[in-house]
Amino acid sequence: MTVLVVVEGVVIAVLALLVVGLLRSHAEILKRLHDLGAGIEGEPGRSSTISEAHRPGSPGYPLMPQMPSPPDREEFGGAADVVGLSPGGQEQVSVRITGVEHDTIVAFLSSGCITCQKFWDAFRKPRKLGLPSGARLVVVTKGPDEESASAVAGLAPPGIPTVMSSEAYADYDIPGSPYFVYVHGPSGRVRGEGTGPDWDQVSSLLSQATGDADLAATLASHVVPKPDADAEREARVDRELFDAGILPGDPSLLTPPPEHPGHAHG
Amino acid sequence: MKLQAHGIETDLPPGWEGRIALRNPPTGHTRALGTTGEVPNPVVHLANFALPEDRGDFGSGAVDLMGEQHVLVVLFEYGPECAGTALFRRKGIPTKLTPSMFSGSALQRTLPDQAGCQVFFTAAGRAFCCYAVLGRQAAAARVLPQANATLAATKIGPR
Repeated sequence: MTVLVVVEGVVIAVLALLVVGLLRSHAEILKRLHDLGAGIEGEPGRSSTISEAHRPGSPGYPLMPQMPSPPDREEFGGAADVVGLSPGGQEQVSVRITGVEHDTIVAFLSSGCITCQKFWDAFRKPRKLGLPSGARLVVVTKGPDEESASAVAGLAPPGIPTVMSSEAYADYDIPGSPYFVYVHGPSGRVRGEGTGPDWDQVSSLLSQATGDADLAATLASHVVPKPDADAEREARVDRELFDAGILPGDPSLLTPPPEHPGHAHG
Repeated sequence: MKLQAHGIETDLPPGWEGRIALRNPPTGHTRALGTTGEVPNPVVHLANFALPEDRGDFGSGAVDLMGEQHVLVVLFEYGPECAGTALFRRKGIPTKLTPSMFSGSALQRTLPDQAGCQVFFTAAGRAFCCYAVLGRQAAAARVLPQANATLAATKIGPR
């Protein structure tokens, strides 16, 4: 009988140890999830500790850990021409991106990141990329001081300009790799930027960005001009105001007219 | 936009891009271009259009893409034994290319409406050929000032 009690006690002690171990492991997992920002939505004090979750303009939740976070700015970054070395290091390369007729998609990749590998592979089949009409794809990695030139040479897709330039990363304010910037050639302005886990998603993102811009341009070209009578009336009013000494921005133009009692607005 | 390598530097005007390349020497075991034992020399490609990656030394691959307003300038270096010889007796980079210097028969590869010219020269003890191609010969007067300005902004020093 005593033996049974002792054995039972030992079993209970072992089980208690297992339960404590499991609870501890569970607590550790919860702590890690909390650190990653997977708190309960709306619960006070449970917000993410990852900086991008607090940044203005951020989606409010952390992005995929393997993807670079968006830069901490409200507008697109600047565009610049790219100067650097070819992957083999034997060729000095300059690629004109601004002030040219064609648009350019600048793909910032790294030889080391796992996600970039999908893009390196995809770029080996340029005909399947479905690039916007007339757009040129340019791949940029960091310079030989920060990247393995031989690794980049092995990955560089044939037929697509690949430039090693840390300066380009700084010029475009690139948060990490992979990252993509769509530059409108004639104006030299960035029309879209972002990242994604694969080319399909990035392509969709860029199509949306360029589609929005194209739509805006289309709408602008379809703006119906004012009828002549309206335009003439507007010009006459402007002229009379000017003659009366009331110039654009005059405070009197911004003050609403006094309401007359008994004249209810319908 | 400045570009500098192998003793050659240039400052490209807006709309122009370039490459200063030096091929890997062929060893017989690699797929490098050229013949075994050859010592490759630098080749410069300057153009007012997007240069394709697959280009020959004298612009094959690029000339096929040229439009009417396009111009390609190639500076091809020859071996040091050529410097100062009769063919290369002209000194310094040519910076005054004129329409009359261009001809369809001077093209390495004849394409409709295109025209080319070659000027051999020695600079800093190095022998070069300046090979220029116009996308359309009739546009020479319009595009040559750009090409001449680009050449004027190109300096060759010791390698």
